[in-house]
Amino acid sequence: MKAVRQALWILLAALVPAFLASAFHPKRPAWSEDVLQPGEERLGTVQSWGDSVLWVDARSRKEFDTEHIPNAVLLNLEEWDQLFPAFLDRWQPNQKVVVYCSSLACHMSEEVADRLRRNSVEPVYVLKGGWEAWKSKR
Amino acid sequence: MRLPDLGLMACRIILGGLFLVAGLTKAYDPAGFATEIQNYHLVPWVGGVLLALFLPWVEIFAAGALFLKRFQRGALLLISAMLIIYSAALISAMARGLNIDCGCFGRLISSTGIVWALIRNAGLMIPAGILWIFGLRGQARVKNRRR
Repeated sequence: MKAVRQALWILLAALVPAFLASAFHPKRPAWSEDVLQPGEERLGTVQSWGDSVLWVDARSRKEFDTEHIPNAVLLNLEEWDQLFPAFLDRWQPNQKVVVYCSSLACHMSEEVADRLRRNSVEPVYVLKGGWEAWKSKR
Repeated sequence: MRLPDLGLMACRIILGGLFLVAGLTKAYDPAGFATEIQNYHLVPWVGGVLLALFLPWVEIFAAGALFLKRFQRGALLLISAMLIIYSAALISAMARGLNIDCGCFGRLISSTGIVWALIRNAGLMIPAGILWIFGLRGQARVKNRRR
């Protein structure tokens, strides 16, 4: 009983920073799933940018070889060292880069986007919904 | 400090240290953690958001309370419950064939796959068990002696 009472106190104490984080944390999650996370863009928005966008496929080579967005460049974390020079050959400075992976459930695209930004590639966006979003709009 | 006390302190450091790091990495990026929770398809998005905001702080506070005599039992209860619930979520993801990262350390530290996370959780249950059996019993003995 004592343990439960103590646990309740700890839970109550944790509520305070949790509440503050929900209001002020710069990386607080959106309450609606439809709201974009920082750095994310919807397919419609990306398509409105026209053909100047450079698509980056962050999935595996096998998935890329099966099917991919036309003119997309393969760039995943497993083969980063081999694939990054090929990406640089295709990318023009200041050209918008949009990274995608399989679906909402994967976050490889975010990891690849982060690494691109760390390599001074800007601006970089992540496609919300990834390949699934692209396929469903075809 | 006697040898058994050192062992108990080591258990607290392993358990508390790991939960502290796990809590801090997730508290740093609650949006990322909410997505990790969503990958399990166990709770609706809003539920995942609430958990992403709350759970990291429970982990941090429970990890700290593990070193405070006044709150040790409660902290151990919470940590044990979290280990069991996290393991159940991992097993359920594995049973449904989900190919996801465990999300145990948010996105700041590269995550492990489900199997390794389960092995780690099983390993963490050992210091938790030792603390339940010897740590708390030791406290009760000291209390009885004082009486």
